[in-house]
Amino acid sequence: MRCKKLLKYAAGISAFVWVAVLFIFCEARAADIGNCLLCHKYPGLSRIDENGDLKLLFINESVFNNSVHANVKCEGCHPDIKKIPHENVRKVDCMLECHIIEPSSEKKFSHKDVETFLSRSVHSKIDKEGKPKKYPEDYPDCKDCHDNPLYRPLSFFKKVRPGISEIVLGRCRVCHKKDEFIFRFYNHITTRLHAIRSPKNIAEVCAKCHEDPALVARHGLSRKAVSSYAETFHGKAANYLSEGIPDCLNCHVNIGESVHQMLSHKNPESITFKDNKIKSCRMIDCHPHASAKLAKYDVHPEFDKEKSPMEYYFTAFFLILTGGTLLPLAGIMFLDLGRRLFSRKKEDKE
Amino acid sequence: MAQNYIIKVKDGKKYFLRFTVNQRLQHIILASTVIILVLTGMPLKFHGTLWASYLYEQLGGISLAPIIHRVAAVILLLLGGYHLGYLTYNFYVEEIVPLRKNGKPGLIAITKAVLRQPIIPNLKDIRDILDLLKYLFFLTDKKPLGAKYTWKEKFDYMAPFWGIVMIGSSGIVMWGQDLATKILPGEIISFALIVHSDEALLAALFLFFWHWYNVHFSTSVFPMGTVFLTGYLTEELMVEEHYEYYVEVMTKEGFENEILPPPGVSAPHAPENHEEGSPIS
Repeated sequence: MRCKKLLKYAAGISAFVWVAVLFIFCEARAADIGNCLLCHKYPGLSRIDENGDLKLLFINESVFNNSVHANVKCEGCHPDIKKIPHENVRKVDCMLECHIIEPSSEKKFSHKDVETFLSRSVHSKIDKEGKPKKYPEDYPDCKDCHDNPLYRPLSFFKKVRPGISEIVLGRCRVCHKKDEFIFRFYNHITTRLHAIRSPKNIAEVCAKCHEDPALVARHGLSRKAVSSYAETFHGKAANYLSEGIPDCLNCHVNIGESVHQMLSHKNPESITFKDNKIKSCRMIDCHPHASAKLAKYDVHPEFDKEKSPMEYYFTAFFLILTGGTLLPLAGIMFLDLGRRLFSRKKEDKE
Repeated sequence: MAQNYIIKVKDGKKYFLRFTVNQRLQHIILASTVIILVLTGMPLKFHGTLWASYLYEQLGGISLAPIIHRVAAVILLLLGGYHLGYLTYNFYVEEIVPLRKNGKPGLIAITKAVLRQPIIPNLKDIRDILDLLKYLFFLTDKKPLGAKYTWKEKFDYMAPFWGIVMIGSSGIVMWGQDLATKILPGEIISFALIVHSDEALLAALFLFFWHWYNVHFSTSVFPMGTVFLTGYLTEELMVEEHYEYYVEVMTKEGFENEILPPPGVSAPHAPENHEEGSPIS
């Protein structure tokens, strides 16, 4: 009898523990309405696609929750996935309207405007007449340049530093009661008050196309944009992870516009048009008092007789000077060493 | 105040004054600033390499290393200015003042005085280079008999003048690019970067291979020459490198009976009635 009672107690306690665990577990997965993480939480989840490429299907929840899309549910970007196993999963369409309500217009949020901007930019797949450009597949889609960026919050309450200011959060809590909202709002705003990527990272993204020799040749682009940028002080500093140095976008995007509105350097409205370049040099954080002549500085130099003849001959002169100076001296140095060793051997024999 | 003896005798060994305290301090400042400039500059030239990233990180990275580079550059430029003043003052005291006492110092007299300076390259240097090549190719066993400053030392001394002017001026243009391009065309920045970077590489290779080989790594001085610290050179090295000047100083200081034979001659031999500029016939 006693044994039965004990078993009842044990069953009761264990049931309570399981319910508590499930409750906690359900709380943690509340954002995952479709319970997608049931499978996608496993780091090894992957498959080989039709092209033989490995597709990693793992979602790191804590990383995702710190990304700019943390509030978008899985179904927001993958509305076509209805059953397990999934069938005919379509590519993510960034132009979809998602469930988030854009607060200023109170309409469903979408990146549709970006598509409009992009269609008028140098990166559009269609030309001015609305016809497809040559090699449309070379022009970038959203995901060619964008991943799901993480928040990069800034604190500038007393000093500017990366991270969140607890003092500011304290102020927010006076009126706003939900910590999750405060945290997201803070991140949303401060992440956008500075560059979300480092100049090196931006250059790497542009390099995916602009350093591809075949693509550069196909489109008749004049320079290898990123490796030439890397040879300037801007590029060298970017390579050492300077955040304050100008990257591709600072000079190629018209001031006050979005990267999606980038224009060709042949377009007189573009900031990279020869007469407009100085405007980007003179940005308040760069060279505000610079003379118009500063823009003549070749920010994409290449060691190439056709593209940068003056730089080519100047560099060649220094190569010859270096070789012409050091090679004879190196010759004397080695002959001297040889003669010394020979003399020492001779002395040792004597 | 310490007196600079031309020949110091210590424990029966003779040591010959090569550099005064002032000159040694100038050299130490020059050497340390150049090393700092190379360390903080070369990682930018070779920015894609692993060693450059590591080295630059150790030197404070992009936020600190450029500041160190500029501070060192300013010190070096000030040193260059000081050295020009030092040269001018010494030349005035040692050459112009006596010329004034003997009459008006004309342009020809001053030019001759400049060319007479032991650091100025002359025809003997060309003869010494040719003689050295003969020696190195085993065509003779006689080494050239060096003067106060050998052609190698003159080369080492003259190189920084070219280097400081080229690297310094291009560095100033890049540092003050806004002001520079108010006066000069914008293309000057591109050329300044090439000059600064390529000339610096030439200077660094020249110093760390050629200069360091001659003063630290050659078998005569390995592992380190000490004259840049003590200011004095041993008799052995004086004979090997500056025999002509050695004979001159020994005679002048009253040690003519203790003059050692020239390099490559093993038997004790004191030169007698040697001709000027060629102590051993």
